[in-house]
Amino acid sequence: MLRITGGKVYDPANNINGEVRDVCISGGRVVAAVEDARTIDATGMVVFPGGVDVHTHVAGAALNFARGLIPEQHRQAAPIIHSRLRRAGLGGSTPTTFATGYLYAGMGWTTVNEAAVPILSAKHTHEELHDTPIVDKTCCVLMANNEILLDLMEAGEWERARHVMAWQVWAAKAYGVKAVNPGGVAAWKWGKDAKQLSDPIAGYSNITPGQIVAGLARLVDELKLPHPLHLHCNNLGAPGNVTTTLETMKTLEGNRAHLAHLQYHAYGGDDWSNISSASTTLADAFNACPNLTTDAGAVLFGNTVTVTADGPWQHLLYQLTGKKWANLDVENETGCGVVPYAYKPGSPANAVQWAVGLELLLLITDPWRVFLTTDHPNGAAFWRYPEVIRLLMDLDFRREQLKAIPDKVLKRIILPELTRQYTLSEIAVITSAGPARALGLSHKGHLGVGADADVAVYNESADVAHMFSYPRYVIKGGEVVIEEGELRNVVEGRGFVVKPAYDETVEGYLRPLFQQHYTMSFDNYPVAPERVHGLQVVEPAP
Amino acid sequence: MSCTLGEVKNRADLIIYWGGNPAECHPRHFTKYTIMQKGKYVPNGRKGRTMVLVDIRETPSAKAADLFLQVRPAKDFETLTILRALIKGRRVDAAAVAETGLTLEQLEDLAHRMKTCRFGVLFFGMGLSMTRGKHMNSAAALTLAAELNAFTKFVTMPMRGHGNVTGADVVMRYTTAYPFGVSLSRGYPRFNPGEFSTIDLLVRGDVDATLVLGADPGATMPQPAIDHLARTPTIVLDPKVTHSSRLARVHITTAATGITAPGTVYRMDEVPLPLRPPLSGPYPSDEDVLKRIVAAVKRKPAWEPAGV
Amino acid sequence: MLTLTLKESPHVPLEAEVISPDVVANLTPGEVRALPVLLGKRRCRLDDWFDVDGDAGDEIEVRGDASKVKWIGRGMTRGRVTVVGNAGTHLGAYMTGGSVEVTGSAGDWVGGEMGGGTIRVRGDAGGQLGAAYRGSPSGMSGGTILVGGSAGIELGMRMKRGLIAVGGKVRDFAGLQMKGGTIVLTGGAEIRTGAWMARGTIVSLVPLRLLPTFAAAGPYHPTFLRLYARHLRPLGFALPCEPHEGAYRRYTGDAAVPGKGEVLVWQPA
Repeated sequence: MLRITGGKVYDPANNINGEVRDVCISGGRVVAAVEDARTIDATGMVVFPGGVDVHTHVAGAALNFARGLIPEQHRQAAPIIHSRLRRAGLGGSTPTTFATGYLYAGMGWTTVNEAAVPILSAKHTHEELHDTPIVDKTCCVLMANNEILLDLMEAGEWERARHVMAWQVWAAKAYGVKAVNPGGVAAWKWGKDAKQLSDPIAGYSNITPGQIVAGLARLVDELKLPHPLHLHCNNLGAPGNVTTTLETMKTLEGNRAHLAHLQYHAYGGDDWSNISSASTTLADAFNACPNLTTDAGAVLFGNTVTVTADGPWQHLLYQLTGKKWANLDVENETGCGVVPYAYKPGSPANAVQWAVGLELLLLITDPWRVFLTTDHPNGAAFWRYPEVIRLLMDLDFRREQLKAIPDKVLKRIILPELTRQYTLSEIAVITSAGPARALGLSHKGHLGVGADADVAVYNESADVAHMFSYPRYVIKGGEVVIEEGELRNVVEGRGFVVKPAYDETVEGYLRPLFQQHYTMSFDNYPVAPERVHGLQVVEPAP
Repeated sequence: MSCTLGEVKNRADLIIYWGGNPAECHPRHFTKYTIMQKGKYVPNGRKGRTMVLVDIRETPSAKAADLFLQVRPAKDFETLTILRALIKGRRVDAAAVAETGLTLEQLEDLAHRMKTCRFGVLFFGMGLSMTRGKHMNSAAALTLAAELNAFTKFVTMPMRGHGNVTGADVVMRYTTAYPFGVSLSRGYPRFNPGEFSTIDLLVRGDVDATLVLGADPGATMPQPAIDHLARTPTIVLDPKVTHSSRLARVHITTAATGITAPGTVYRMDEVPLPLRPPLSGPYPSDEDVLKRIVAAVKRKPAWEPAGV
Repeated sequence: MLTLTLKESPHVPLEAEVISPDVVANLTPGEVRALPVLLGKRRCRLDDWFDVDGDAGDEIEVRGDASKVKWIGRGMTRGRVTVVGNAGTHLGAYMTGGSVEVTGSAGDWVGGEMGGGTIRVRGDAGGQLGAAYRGSPSGMSGGTILVGGSAGIELGMRMKRGLIAVGGKVRDFAGLQMKGGTIVLTGGAEIRTGAWMARGTIVSLVPLRLLPTFAAAGPYHPTFLRLYARHLRPLGFALPCEPHEGAYRRYTGDAAVPGKGEVLVWQPA
């Protein structure tokens, strides 16, 4: 039992905005009162619900493929030295699994959503998530290029597609549905792409990317999944792609969706020489769509590695950079590309990307619908979130940083005109309360009675980057894991998995198709429930 | 540039085996994944695919191939490097090509097939990756395949040896960030194949004790490495008596994974497969034994790593 | 001068990056003796393994068979390290200034990713001399490495600038993926010299068997070689460059990249 006393509590879900009050914890949950509890004196500190990352790539075959490609970055990474408490590992742009848990918790984040899981290698993803301590985990299964689903859409068999989708979510032991470059990755299997929503898809004659987007979003809503369709739009990263993004928002026809890493989808211009920010247009349109949430996918300057299921984009990036490239296509389901990358302020395209991520966070008016991410590791590593927070909260610092941006780029961005500064309460929304709500995790992201006792306590300080990098206390599930800024206790995280209702006979339909198109036995395909450690099953009402 | 094996089955119309003999070493490869299968986009199966075999001798696999190219021993790197130049339209001197044992015409034909196929795959075996040039031969195959994607879809994959080599590689990567050749002596992972890889450590005598798991170095490694294993304390975990267990100080008999113990094996394309044991046996699994060793070591006085 | 005499050869590698003028220069004798070195995973004191004599300054002399002592002179920026005997792996890696001299032989990765300074090995050197560490885009970016004897594989891998000269024969893949700088081979090389090079110059006084992706471009009398010849002569490397002595045959490649590197092979008149 614990009582955190004397701190200013920021719990926006319960309309508490910096009030000094106690947070009491018992049995891993927030409770109204405790007696004879250990007391943490949080005077001079702020108390936040534990951070929730709505979109990150921390585990799985693709990320692990990336790890193997960049020993030169690992040599520069912060070493995690083995101790009685800690397993050895490395930080850097793709931290090792144990390090990932320590680094997230070390910043006050207690829940992460791994955003891209193929069913075929989901067993592997769950192995990695099991070795990612402290944080609770959810994951999204990749579907927008799943050929069994695409074939059903092509044939107009939507009813069956819904049962297949539900079966696949449970087979992967996933929490939500992810769509990456709908149709484009399937086309990439032939070395092609599908950039626009009306483009034909190599190998298909009826369906278009637009129909896949709309169809998947509808199916997810029909299945009442707690998290809406998690969508990586078509035409990522390309100059002028804002038109595709705007069209995608229309195509969704009011169905719910979470638009991932919006920064990569908000560009004007026609080519790399005149790429510009289109965040005003996009934010205006987004503000008018209450069915949508998004995350920033902010970029910070420095070395990283880009990892995405968007194979064709990665091949283009490889041709642009002339550096390393790895590609890993997954039969009948998806692809993945890996390209190490350095974002430089002197590069006009990179400078625009840096500005756009911040602009979207500042221009989208409702903090409950835009969340802090860097699309880790694509825009920057997650452990750099405190730098983004500082850029949002501190106008002077932002202006200072703008000095490194080339003059010709300043005309193509609007960041210099924006004066908004985030409040602590808004930070609590975009880092915790908002993403928890978007994920449908009702017991996360707040400190009301009954919530999971995931709490971060920071020193209140003008240096917000330092403040959010070194929490004084972090409590996960009621256990104190960080104390006085140091790791004191390593607990296991839990895995939240959704089991939507489906007609069991759908297996009879899938089995022969599977035997024909896959190279694994059908019985070996689903992830056995015992492979998810700390399994928490969520069953949506039918 | 890789993919899971189902992509090959469903799409590949050009299948190249280089420095490997799948007919004898990976007997199920042809029938389960590659040439003999009817695929989603290769409805005619064998008739819809071209198979090329490149090797230093005419193995039984050559019978299955449409085209057999006999390259001179230790000329694989040269041949792959010539192909890299040819696909880019660079001229290579016909007389200089002769050292590979192949003619310029043959290599131009192969380069043309690679560039014009719909979906090509290059499987390379230990005849490439373990002969003179080693990792650079593999690098040549990987680079050629990557560069071919400027023209068409092309992937490549190593045909790995026996046991769960791929699984070890995968687990090392997510726990240490590196695939092999890792040292934890400073309390955090460092990587340097040649310095920290097992053979080199043993040959140079840089270790004073060895734990052998899922391998039989006593049968496969060079003599100086084997001598060092015999000279220093060696512990072997294995269900059966092996060359290594005979020279070890300690041999702990463990359950055979997949027969009497459950586990996960990774296919050469990094797809995990669950193993369900059909039998039960008296011996503990490797995992049980290792956990007990770790627990026992923890009871000893703390070793504080020295850090960076 | 600080003298470190190895008491006995360690049975497993000893990591001793503290043997560098930058580390010891301002330390008291007591502090020097207490510097940490790693025997395998165990932390020891420098004086557990070395007799420490003299005063710390910009000069260090290491005596004994230090072939299992790694990282001597790591990242040094100034001063002088002399090894009377053999040196282990990573000698002078990442150094940017000063000089290192070894009277015997040295292990792999001599001058790995070095940026400046001079390393001279009188005996043989191992593989990856002046090379890029695994995955790095470039190897040595400046400075000079001189080896009297032979050297191992992947010499100068991905080097960007600087000079490597080797008196004995070198093994496979010298100048692999080279990006710039100069390699002088007076004792010849085994196979695949200059493989996948993009730029840079390899000079050989012995005929080489080059990859088929190198093209012969005729005889050549490069004037820049006179500078190198003058620089290398006092260091024991004779580089002929008078027209009456012969000419260099110039090859360009590697066409696989496609690269603009050059390999100059001496042909006596």
